[in-house]
Amino acid sequence: MIMVARKFADQVAASDPASKGMHMATTLTINGETKSFDAPPEMPLLWVLRDILGMTGTKFGCGIAQCGACTVHVDGKAVRSCVLPVSAVANRAVTTIEHVGSTPAGAKVQKAWLDAEVIQCGYCQSGQIMAAAALLAATPHPDDSDIDAAMAGNICRCGTYVRIREAIKQAASGRQS
Amino acid sequence: MSGKMRILTSVVVIAIVAAGLGVWIIRGPGPLDFAGGTKVALADYRAGKPTGVPAKLEKASLVDRGEYLAKAADCMVCHTKPGEKDYSGGLGFKLPFGTLYSTNITPDKDTGIGNYSDQDFLNAVQHGKRHDGARLYPAMPYTSYTYMTDEDVLAVKAYLFSLPAVRAKAPENTLSFPFNQRWAMMFWSAVFNPDTRFTPDTSKSPEWNRGAYLAEALAHCGECHTPRNLGFALDNRKKFGGAITAGWRAFNISSDKATGLGNWRDEDLISYLSLGHAPGHGSASGPMGEAVDRSFSQFAPEDIRAVVAYLRSVPPVASPDLPATTAPAAPASHKDGVTADARGKMVFASACASCHGWSGESPVSPMATLTGTWAVNDPAATNVAQIVLSGTRRHTPDGALSMPAFGNAYSDDEIAAVANYVTARFGTKGSKLTAKDVAELREQTAE
Repeated sequence: MIMVARKFADQVAASDPASKGMHMATTLTINGETKSFDAPPEMPLLWVLRDILGMTGTKFGCGIAQCGACTVHVDGKAVRSCVLPVSAVANRAVTTIEHVGSTPAGAKVQKAWLDAEVIQCGYCQSGQIMAAAALLAATPHPDDSDIDAAMAGNICRCGTYVRIREAIKQAASGRQS
Repeated sequence: MSGKMRILTSVVVIAIVAAGLGVWIIRGPGPLDFAGGTKVALADYRAGKPTGVPAKLEKASLVDRGEYLAKAADCMVCHTKPGEKDYSGGLGFKLPFGTLYSTNITPDKDTGIGNYSDQDFLNAVQHGKRHDGARLYPAMPYTSYTYMTDEDVLAVKAYLFSLPAVRAKAPENTLSFPFNQRWAMMFWSAVFNPDTRFTPDTSKSPEWNRGAYLAEALAHCGECHTPRNLGFALDNRKKFGGAITAGWRAFNISSDKATGLGNWRDEDLISYLSLGHAPGHGSASGPMGEAVDRSFSQFAPEDIRAVVAYLRSVPPVASPDLPATTAPAAPASHKDGVTADARGKMVFASACASCHGWSGESPVSPMATLTGTWAVNDPAATNVAQIVLSGTRRHTPDGALSMPAFGNAYSDDEIAAVANYVTARFGTKGSKLTAKDVAELREQTAE
C-alpha cells in the first residue's frame, strides 16, 4: 500500500517537471467550511484531507480507487478521494466522515451502524458509511441490487458485508435490529 | 523480327506494364495529392513560411529551433523506452512477424549517432538509409520525414547533438524471414518513399500550407490514422480514415461528418490537440495520449490552428463500422438501460462506477466522462479494453487526472466482460470481446 503511495508521488515528480514543487493557493468548501491551503494542483484530495488539513477520518487503502476506504462526497456523490486531484474539486462541496452525521442520510446510517454492530476492525468503515449515506440520499429505499451497485466498490477485509447490508436496510426503514 | 521474338517481346512488354500498373495501383496517391492545387518550389513560395519554426522562435538558436522541430516530429516517444534516458532507444515495436527495437539517437559515438555527418543524418531521416548503408524499416516514418526541408532536419540533428550522449545498445530485432532481410527494404523504399521535399500549394492559404507541413512532414498523423495497403504502406485513397496501430484504434480524422472530425468545432479540435481532451469527445489515451503529451501540447497556438485548418480540408472517408451518431448519456440508475452482461456489470460496479458514474457522465471530472467518446461507441471495443488494461493519464494546466491500469488486477475474461458491458451501456452497440481477444491485445502492447 505504501509503495503505491510512494509511486504516485514519484510519478508526479518525474512526469510533470512543470509542477515540481509548484504549490498553488487553493480554497475548498469542506464540510460547509471554507478551507485555504497551498498544494500542488495534482495532489489527490485524500492527501489534502489527511496530511494538510489533519482530517484523518478518511482512510488510505489502495491508492488506486479500488477499495473504497477513501470515499468522500463531492456534491453529494460518493467518489474516491485517492485519485481525485484537488484541482478537480475547486468550487464543489466536499463532505467527509467527520461531518456526514449532520446530513439526514448520514445520521441514519451512523445510527444503524451502531445498532447492528457492523464494525469489526473498522479500517474500511469510513468509506462504507460514506458510500451508504450517498446511496440512501439518492435512493431512500434501496433493494439488494441497488445496494450491490452502490457498495460493490467498497471492500471489507473482515467480511462485514452481511451486517453492512442489514444496517443499510435498517437505516432505510427506520426499524431497529 | 521473327514471330517467336515478337511474341517474347510482347510478353516482356506486357509483364513490365502489368508490374508497373500493379505498383501504381498499390501505391496509390501521395499524402498531399488530394489538395490538387498548383505546387511551387518552396524557394518560390512568397505568401508565407510553411516550414521551420513559429515566428516567436525565428531568432532562437539552432539548437532551440531543433528542439521545437524534434518535438513537432515526436521523435522522443518512439526513441525512448519508458524509464530510460530520453532518446536512448530500445523501445520494442511488436509486429506480427517479430519485434523491432528503436535506436539510440543520442550523440554517443559507439551506440548512438555520434558519428553521423549532416549527410548521414539526412540520409536516415529523408531516405531511410543508415550510416553503414543498411536500410531502415519504415517503422521509422521516413516516408513522412522525407517532406522535411534539409534545414529543419539538420536543426533536429543539432538539437540531438546538444543532448548528453547515452551509452545504450538496443536489443537485436527478432524479425522472421523474409522480414529480417534489410536489403529488401531497398525495393520497398523505391516504391513507397516519395523521396521529395514539401512543395507549397498556391491555391491554399499560408495557414493550410503550414498545417500540411506540420501534419505530413513532422507530426506524421497518417502513420497511425491512415489504413495501410498490401505493401504495408499508407493507403491515401482512405487518407485519415482510421486504422489499428500498436493494438489501439486510431480513429477517423478525415472531415467525414458522422465518423470523422467534420462535426467537431474548431475549439474542440484545438483543445483535444493541445490538452488531450475536448468536452463531449473524451480524452486522448494510449499512443495519442503520448503524442499530445510529448508533441502537440508543445506546439505554438498558431501551429495548432494550422493543423486544424489542414485537417478540415482532408476529404471525408466514412468508417462504416462506426455508428452515425454517438449514444446519449445512459440512465442514472444502474437498473435502467442495457444489462446484458451480469459479470461485466459486477466488475463495472466495483471498479468503474465510482469515477465514471452509471450514466457515463463522470461525477469526478469531465475528462473521465464516457458519454460521446468514440472508444465506447466502437463496437470492437479495442480502446476500451486497452485503457482498462494499461490505464491512462492526462496532464492539463490544472494538474493531472489518471486512471489506474487494471491489466494485473482482472483476468482477460473479466476485462472482456466489462468492455462488453461498457460499450453496450454507454455506446450504440455492445462489443463481443472474448478472453482470447483481450489476451491478443495484451500481446500487441506489451513492451
